[in-house]
Amino acid sequence: MDVAFRKIDIDVYDEDALQESELYDADNRDPTQALEEARARQVSVRSLLAKNDTAGALTTILDNPPYGPNVEDAKTISLQTLLTILNSTKSTEIPTAINSLSIDSQDTLMKYLYKGMAMSGWADSNASVLLSWHEKLTEIAGTGCIVRTMTDRRTV
Amino acid sequence: MPEIFNISQTPITAHAFNADRSQLAVSLNSNDAQILTRSGSEWAPSEILAEHDKVITSIDWAPNSNQIVTASQDRNAYVWQQTPDPETGKIVWKPTLVLLRINRAATHVRWSPKEDKFAVASGARAIAICSFDPENNWWVSKHLKKPIRSTVLAVDWHPNNVLLAAGSADMKARVFSAYVKEIDERPAATVWGSKLPFNTICGEFASAAGGWVHSVGFSPSGDVLAFASHDSSISIAYPGGAIHNIRMPTLPLVTLTWTSEDTIIAAGHDCQPIVFSGSDAGWQEVGTLDNGSYGSGSKAGPGSVGRLKTGAFATFRDADSRGQTSSGTTDSKLSTIHQNTITSVRPYAGVPGQITQVSTTGVDGTLVIWDTASVSALTGRMAAMSV
Repeated sequence: MDVAFRKIDIDVYDEDALQESELYDADNRDPTQALEEARARQVSVRSLLAKNDTAGALTTILDNPPYGPNVEDAKTISLQTLLTILNSTKSTEIPTAINSLSIDSQDTLMKYLYKGMAMSGWADSNASVLLSWHEKLTEIAGTGCIVRTMTDRRTV
Repeated sequence: MPEIFNISQTPITAHAFNADRSQLAVSLNSNDAQILTRSGSEWAPSEILAEHDKVITSIDWAPNSNQIVTASQDRNAYVWQQTPDPETGKIVWKPTLVLLRINRAATHVRWSPKEDKFAVASGARAIAICSFDPENNWWVSKHLKKPIRSTVLAVDWHPNNVLLAAGSADMKARVFSAYVKEIDERPAATVWGSKLPFNTICGEFASAAGGWVHSVGFSPSGDVLAFASHDSSISIAYPGGAIHNIRMPTLPLVTLTWTSEDTIIAAGHDCQPIVFSGSDAGWQEVGTLDNGSYGSGSKAGPGSVGRLKTGAFATFRDADSRGQTSSGTTDSKLSTIHQNTITSVRPYAGVPGQITQVSTTGVDGTLVIWDTASVSALTGRMAAMSV
C-alpha cells in the first residue's frame, strides 16, 4: 500500500519554516570557481611543502575555504590537500605550525579535523594524525575552537 | 571579596532584586517564584508566588513601581503588585494575568526603563510588548514579529524607553522600535534612527561564526549594542560603525551586562564572570572576577589537557605506576566559585553607568555578589573543562 499519498512537498511552501540558508552568509563563489581555486591551492601547497614551509602551506589551504552546499568537489580536494600537510609534519613541529595560524585559520583547521574524523574511509588510516593534531590544537586554541566548529553553519 | 549564598540545591532559573536589595525574587526551576528576604548573611524565604502552571523562565522587578513580572513556559506572564490582603490585612503579592497571545513558551522578560511597558521574548518567534490599558484595567500586548525567524532568547531596553534589542536563535541580534502610540511620546533621534514606528528594524547584527544569540545589552548611553553568541564570542556593535568581535578560547557566554560605558561583564558555561573593556577603537578581554582562590576545587595544572592526563585514566594510571591514590574528592569540584553554568548576571550596586557590584546566579543554585573592580588575569583557562 502506498502511504505517501501527497504528490507535492508542502513543506517548501511553508513560509514559516526556517531555511538553512537564512542562518549564514552563503559562499559567494560558484562551484567551478571554487573548484579551480581549490586545485590552484593544491599545486601551491605541494610546492610549499617541498620547500618545507608547513606554516605557509597551512595558511594557504585554511584561508577562505570553500563551504556550503554546492561546492562538494572543491571541499574534497581541500581536505585531501590538508591531510597531506598534516601527514608530512613531524609531531614536534605541530605546536609551532599551529601557533603561526590566525584565529580564523585555527577554527577552520578544527573543522577539517572533525570532517576528517567523520569520513568513514579516511578515519581509519589517518586517525592518529588527526587525533594528535586535535590535541595540540585544543591546547592552543581552547574549547572555544571546538564550540565554534559545532556552531558554525559554514561547513567545510 | 565576593559574597556567596547557597540558595538552593536546584538550579536558579532567574533572579531579580528589589530596589534596595533587601529582597530577592527567584525561580528555582519550578512553577513558583520565591521571595527571599535578607536577614544578616542569609536569605530566608518569605513568600511564594504561585500562579504559573509551568516553569518560570524569567523574572524582573521594577525598582520604582515595585512590581514584579514573571514569565513562564505556560505561555503566560503575570504582573505582581503588593496590596493588603482583604481578609488578613497583611501585605501580599497579588497577580494580574497578562494576555500575551503567544502560542509557545515565554523565555525572557524585562521592564522598560520607565516601567510602563515590559517586553516578553518567546519561542513563538515574537516579542510581546505589554502596556497597561487603564480603561479595561488589564495589560495588553502588541507583537514584534518580522523578521524574527526563531525563538527569541533575550531582550534589553534602550534608555529612551522605545528601542529594544533582541537576541534570537536564528543567529541574529536585532534592534527594534517598540514605540507604543498610547504610552510613549515621540523619542528624540538617536544613533539608531529617528521617526520609528512600531516594529521598525533599526539594526541587525550577527557574529561571523554565527551561533544563537544568548544575551544582548545596550550600553548605559544606549549608543552601543553588545551581544554574546554561542560561538564562544562576544560582539560589540557600533551603529554605522564597526562590529568588534572577540572570540574566546573558552566555552560560550550566555549572559552579559554593561557596568560602565566601556566595560562589560559576561558569564556563561565557564562558570566565572569575565570582564571586557574597550571603545569604538577596539575591545579586548581584560580578566575574570573569579581568581580561582575562592573556590575549593583543585586547579587544573598546566599541561594537564588531553584525555590521558586528567580524570579517570590518569587516576588509575597513577595508582598503578606510581602508587598514588587519587587526591581526594576535590577532583570533581571546579576551582571557580560557581560549580555550574552562570545563567544570569545583573547589576547589584552603583548607578547605571558606574556599576560597582554585580550579582550572578547559576545552575548550581548559588547566588554570588561580585565587586566589579577586583579583576584578575585569566589564567588556568581550562578551569571549567574536564576531559
